[in-house]
Amino acid sequence: MEQEFRSDKSGYMLMNKPGYPRVPSWPNLVWVIFLMMLFITILLWGVSFLAYAPLEEMAEWAKTPNPAKAPWYFIGLQELLVYFDPWIAGVMLPNQILIGLILIPYVDITPTEQGHYRWSQRRFAVAYFTFGIAFWATLIFVGQLLRGPSWQIYWPIIDYDLTGHSWTREGIPLKQGGLKLASLSTGTGMALLIGFFSIGMILPFMVTKLFPKSNVVQGLDRYLKELGYIKYFVVQSHVLMMTATVVKIILRLGFNIKYIIETPWFKI
Amino acid sequence: MSEHHHQKKTPAQKTFELLSALLTDNPIYKSIFRTGYPSTLLKQMAVMRSSFYMHIFPTKVGEHGLRLRYSWCMGGITFFLFLLLALTGILLMFYYVPEEHRAFNDMKDLRFMVPFGVILRNMHRWAAHAMVLAVMLHMMRVFYTGSYKAPRQLNWVVGVLLLLFTLLLSFTGYLLPWDQLGFWAVTVGTNMASASPLVGYEGPFHELLGVQVDNDIRFAIIGGTRIGPNALVRAYVWHCVGIPLVATLLMVFHFWRIRKDGFSGPL
Ligand code: HEM
Repeated sequence: MEQEFRSDKSGYMLMNKPGYPRVPSWPNLVWVIFLMMLFITILLWGVSFLAYAPLEEMAEWAKTPNPAKAPWYFIGLQELLVYFDPWIAGVMLPNQILIGLILIPYVDITPTEQGHYRWSQRRFAVAYFTFGIAFWATLIFVGQLLRGPSWQIYWPIIDYDLTGHSWTREGIPLKQGGLKLASLSTGTGMALLIGFFSIGMILPFMVTKLFPKSNVVQGLDRYLKELGYIKYFVVQSHVLMMTATVVKIILRLGFNIKYIIETPWFKI
Repeated sequence: MSEHHHQKKTPAQKTFELLSALLTDNPIYKSIFRTGYPSTLLKQMAVMRSSFYMHIFPTKVGEHGLRLRYSWCMGGITFFLFLLLALTGILLMFYYVPEEHRAFNDMKDLRFMVPFGVILRNMHRWAAHAMVLAVMLHMMRVFYTGSYKAPRQLNWVVGVLLLLFTLLLSFTGYLLPWDQLGFWAVTVGTNMASASPLVGYEGPFHELLGVQVDNDIRFAIIGGTRIGPNALVRAYVWHCVGIPLVATLLMVFHFWRIRKDGFSGPL
């Protein structure tokens, strides 16, 4: 980060200054950790007495369950398969999530805002992160609880015949083809995609030019100046990618659009 | 002790003092616990410094970092669950053989034959789910308190890797019971790899490298064109040796950085 915040920041930390209330680790910290271990052990034991780990029939290649679900922590990606081809849902997006997470500390420009849950100086960061977490949680919720056979929406409170696992029989495809889905023409799609990302990139600057009087916009202006172009580009491309993911979901659900861009090699 | 001498002691107190003296006032006890019970500040500092196990902690902690509503103790919970998983996992290894025809039956044996087998498997299973949840919550806590900022940027990066390895640890374990649930979940999961651009046989531009179903990235991961005995052995080795090893090294680094950078606090 900036010079005055070089790697040795700990010296600036209030709690490292003399006079900051500190207590000996024994017994204070040791106590907390001991109680935590006791609590977790008892809780885990209790749960393990009450709830059995699942064990289904022996694995068999010829019997594909419908639906076949990934474990819950990956089911968000499987849910995205409804809206994207696997190379996006299963490869590009998870990689981008990891890269984005790794980049967070290197694009954050409010180094003093740490050590407390106080968000007034980092509203945008908190909002963006929270939206991502909520998005991820929603996908897990839908995929885990609402998806039934053929990955159709099944409300969990209703007891369908097929709930749980029905084995597919020959001649019955796994994917239901009832819905008519259209794709945009390549030209329209290209224009839409390029337009979305270029306008998205310059939109914040346009806003600061158009409404220079508003307080919020002046705050935005200061933020953009402080951020600098490189960090701005990194942050904004991630914001746009997440927005684009949501937009694609809306296009698919609301307008039955399957692909925005269709080429012989890849489809988006 | 001397200031209490004038008070009358009940027989219970006397017995207790005698027993604790017997227990602590001998060369064997003193060779293990060198400083005695840390009753003074000096001894409290000494015990944290001189004990091998305690040395991972600082001698003093900021009051604010100690509060549960600050850290939720989530990193600690994640690590403790990891230890419990290692313990129950090693015990499970005594009874489990990653072989196509045995694996599933070993699960049944754990359920019906092995003493405490059910509880062992249940604990391992639920602790694994809990660890995935705890590591996500820990990441959220670190984000919302801004604790990834200087000087802790690198430790956040290590944390993200730990998140990834925790997920992979859980995922490789999912296949081991060799039941329909795990088999198809892992089939679905690993199929995604075949969609990787260039290196997956169903991914964009795979023709450029001559990638096919039997030489793509998924083939390398599962050792075949579909989940089979090879995939089972690979999942087992990654689950029991490879990933825990890497995760342990990362955790050692993670904890070392926390000690070096100090636990986060207000600036
Ligand atoms: C196996 C996984 C992990 C384990 C066992 C672990 C363990 C811990 C522990 C015990 C602490 C001490 C404070 C606390 O309990 O909150 C800590 C702090 C920290 N962890 Fe983790 N962690 C893991 C994963 C992660 C992840 C996924 C991230 C972020 C992406 C992360 C980032 C950090 C940072 C930046 C700190 C320093 C926080 C501070 O000083 O307030 N860790 N970790």
